[in-house]
Amino acid sequence: MNSKRIRLWDLPTRLFHWLLVLSVAAAIVSGQVGGNFIDWHARIGLFIVGLVVFRLVWGVAGSTYARFSQFFPTPAKVKAYLGGDWKGVGHNPLGAFSVIGLLALLALQVGSGLFANDDIAFVGPLADLVGKELSNRLTGLHHKAANLLFLLIALHVAAIVFYVRVKKENLVKPMLTGWKEVEAGESAKGGGLLALLLALALASGAVYGASGAWLPAPPPAPPAAEAPPSW
Amino acid sequence: MKSKLVAALLATVVAGSAFAQAKPEDAIKFRQAGYTFMAWNMGKLKGMLVDNPASFNKEQAIAAANLIAATANSGMGALYVPGSDKGVGFKETRVKHELFTDKEGVGKVAVAFNKEANELAKVAATGDAAALKAQFGKVGETCKGCHDKFRKDEH
Repeated sequence: MNSKRIRLWDLPTRLFHWLLVLSVAAAIVSGQVGGNFIDWHARIGLFIVGLVVFRLVWGVAGSTYARFSQFFPTPAKVKAYLGGDWKGVGHNPLGAFSVIGLLALLALQVGSGLFANDDIAFVGPLADLVGKELSNRLTGLHHKAANLLFLLIALHVAAIVFYVRVKKENLVKPMLTGWKEVEAGESAKGGGLLALLLALALASGAVYGASGAWLPAPPPAPPAAEAPPSW
Repeated sequence: MKSKLVAALLATVVAGSAFAQAKPEDAIKFRQAGYTFMAWNMGKLKGMLVDNPASFNKEQAIAAANLIAATANSGMGALYVPGSDKGVGFKETRVKHELFTDKEGVGKVAVAFNKEANELAKVAATGDAAALKAQFGKVGETCKGCHDKFRKDEH
């Protein structure tokens, strides 16, 4: 068998992936615990906004196998894959559904979280923009979507285990090293420094927008002389 | 001895009638008022402990913590009267039906909240902002404990 080594996942894609793993894990834990961790939950959520936007831009401007157009699961590809005739490199057509589904769900999750509140002492950074009623509804959506996210993550991990155990293919290693042994295929191209800077700039812009730092500041605290009435 | 017993019995009877069960819509209102008022005080604590520590004020922290502890100790469980699992107070109640059936589960989250709320008042009295911040977080966790289990999401 003539196998060769190709550059599959570029460094930004791998960094994105593992940072996302860590931040989603941290978001789940901090979200479950609540209390003072809720502020970390919000910060992590903002970071995930940046990661998701980065990945969306990288899916257009990144290198070959990071591009949505390369792995978009067309019906023809899905059919070929299910029939065992898919010979491509990179995300397989079912894996592509997982990528797109996870990104979309994460976008929904961080998007709703920005407007959420917990009726304890936390409001999302953009909650003031939508009012309490809508904020409550988006909080409900945030809770429901979390369950769906758990399901997709479980599916994602189960698929990787299935590949290792049944198909004898290690998908984790290329996501760590970037290299993969393939029978046919070319190393990834594109996704240079300029594309990286563009993706980082757009991601930073999104985090800034989501943070609500641009919202008009609340009215300044009254001067010390005007202490609250004693009653 | 005998007169003391009679007095105690009388007190029980009087108290019993004075604490006649609230009507469901009133009970829901009282509940919502209690939680909302506690939220105002949690918000004040968050402002001076987390958002802007420079604004920490011991007296105001004590006032807020005492309010939360007093509300926790006020016996709000009595407001979950039969028939108040549905209905409108200031707005539609979001209580889950399970709160009325899972006595043990409710007891657990309620006792946890009361314990942390009382501790909040104690810590506030010391004026130690760092310790109060930690305790404030613990109270928040016990609020969430009940929200997660016994409160419906809006949708």
